[in-house]
Amino acid sequence: MSDHLLNDLSLFAPETAITLTLVAAILADLIFRRTPLVVAALVLAGFVVTGLLLLGQTGVNASIFTGMIAVDSFAVFFKTIVVLAGILVVVFSMESGELNSPGRKLGEYYALLCAAALGMMLMAGASNLLMMYIAIELSSLSSYLLSGYTREAPDSSEASLKYLIYGAVSSGLMLYGISLMYGLSGSLDLRAINRALPQVLSGGGAASFTLLIAGVLALAGFGYKISAVPFHFWTPDVYEGAPITITAFLSVASKAGGFAMMIRFFKVTFIDAGAVALPAGTWATLQGFHWVDLVAILAVLSMTIGNLVAVWQNNLKRLLAYSSIAHAGYMLTGVVVLSNQGLAAIMVYFGVYLFMNLGAFYCVMLIADKTGSEDIDEYKGIGGRSPFLAVALAVFLVSLTGLPPTAGFIGKLYLFAALINSGWTWLAIVAALNSVIALYYYVRVFRNMFLRTEEPSSPGITLSWLQNAALVVLLVPTLLLGLYFTPLVQLAQASVRLFGTP
Amino acid sequence: MQLFDVVFYVFALITILSGCVVVFSKNIIYAAFSLLFTFFGVAALYVLLHADFLAVTQILIYVGGILVLLLFGVMLTNNVISVEMKTGTIQAIPALIIVAIVAGTLAGLSYSTWKGVAVPAPGGPQTTTGTLGQMLMTSYVIPFEIASVVLLVALIGAAMTARRHRNS
Repeated sequence: MSDHLLNDLSLFAPETAITLTLVAAILADLIFRRTPLVVAALVLAGFVVTGLLLLGQTGVNASIFTGMIAVDSFAVFFKTIVVLAGILVVVFSMESGELNSPGRKLGEYYALLCAAALGMMLMAGASNLLMMYIAIELSSLSSYLLSGYTREAPDSSEASLKYLIYGAVSSGLMLYGISLMYGLSGSLDLRAINRALPQVLSGGGAASFTLLIAGVLALAGFGYKISAVPFHFWTPDVYEGAPITITAFLSVASKAGGFAMMIRFFKVTFIDAGAVALPAGTWATLQGFHWVDLVAILAVLSMTIGNLVAVWQNNLKRLLAYSSIAHAGYMLTGVVVLSNQGLAAIMVYFGVYLFMNLGAFYCVMLIADKTGSEDIDEYKGIGGRSPFLAVALAVFLVSLTGLPPTAGFIGKLYLFAALINSGWTWLAIVAALNSVIALYYYVRVFRNMFLRTEEPSSPGITLSWLQNAALVVLLVPTLLLGLYFTPLVQLAQASVRLFGTP
Repeated sequence: MQLFDVVFYVFALITILSGCVVVFSKNIIYAAFSLLFTFFGVAALYVLLHADFLAVTQILIYVGGILVLLLFGVMLTNNVISVEMKTGTIQAIPALIIVAIVAGTLAGLSYSTWKGVAVPAPGGPQTTTGTLGQMLMTSYVIPFEIASVVLLVALIGAAMTARRHRNS
């Protein structure tokens, strides 16, 4: 038993590292009260070590702690996304004027960031319903606190409270779904549930109705985490009220954890393992439970509502919030196709979404630190005053739209290809039409930045070398992955190949 | 009707009636105290289901902790006893529709066949505490440890939220 545990612990090293960083951050905050940079540097180092430990796990395919957590390349991919987002967000936080205002203590901020990252990493690996629930609670609890961190800002407390209330409701719904699932199958382990389900479904209409309700309730929990319509109501308010660094972290890392968990849940639990005569790399749903239609509806709603409402937004943070809802919709279409190709497309999309979305939020943060507002009118004439920043923001927004030659185009291309290959042409058309709507509201930002001039007397935004370096670090992948994307695609395909096989 | 059924219905009735008082009472002190009976009723139902540890935990945490905290909160708040709570019905029709849907769904769920759990054989006192403790330290050790991180975050958060702002 103890041999097992020790072996499992070595595969749990990245999570252990981030937990130790969390504890170290609390202690360091007590010692270095006056210099928050020490804590920030420590946490940054902790994230880097975690990332290095994750790199050491490439190619591992194991199930640790008696099936609680899966360590496979699929989980490692999403954990890497979370850790990369964590590293970048710590760098943003060191630069943020909003957070580093005099008199604010940041020790707990960095500690909670580690806790949130730990929760999201566990979400990516959890293969047991109990573990999934605890991982969700850990990441949510830290996110509530982080989004209310700047308490004197009136929006921030409101954001935190709204997040908490919506989070409590959706986690309650999910818990009820989990309890139904346990009642039907007698197990919390995803594989065991999968083995038990054919017999459950043969029990007739009442059983499959219960399973449907359980699936819908679980979907409420996942939908809340990835902010898909109709579980998205918290997103705009929280994204607007939270500190921008946290908004950026939530929009990438929280979504990555949520998607990884949702895909694992559906791919392992609700797949007909005994289905025969399928082309390689595709799967079939269980007879009698068509969850794919549910996910397809969510995808269409998220894309359409996210994009249509974004058109009316004048606050850049709100605009990016609605755009992130729409992006969740695009990525959900990759789940619908039920093939390895679709999953690989989601992973490619996440790989590029990490850089373009964090980049967009970083530019908004830099501009807001100088102008004090995220209003779209403040962007007038920025193109003339601070050309590098404006061009960088433009590149990120073009990439979010999905136009070549940026990375966003590659992400969308793979998704649409997966959709068309598996006969979901109408969904691909809806997604493409949505990209056109998205272009409209991103262009509004370009127009304000480059074609309109501000009244005189507004100085340009000067960036420190660190800020310039951070922008370049985000810009290079956004452009490079648009031209040379083979490594990312190969990584995603390799990660998906072994997924779901014990 | 067996003794088990009688006991079950008695406690179920206590739970539901005191729950109704919690919801409909206009006096917040009455509501808080009748919550006590709801918690006890639920704990008794757990005992009937052979979940002795859960029942004790329910009493320790909900009655001993949460309810006492709630009462302290109520009593330490100024004027809360004299304030008449606003109750009224708004949007009755949408509410009715949603209640009907939820009730129909729950009724539908009750027709499902559930996976039976082995009931311990009669005769001789049996507790679940030992088994639970062993499982928490073996197969469920990771959720157990992560739950402690969740508690740590909750502690940090509580201290952080309650801290007075000096400089702003």
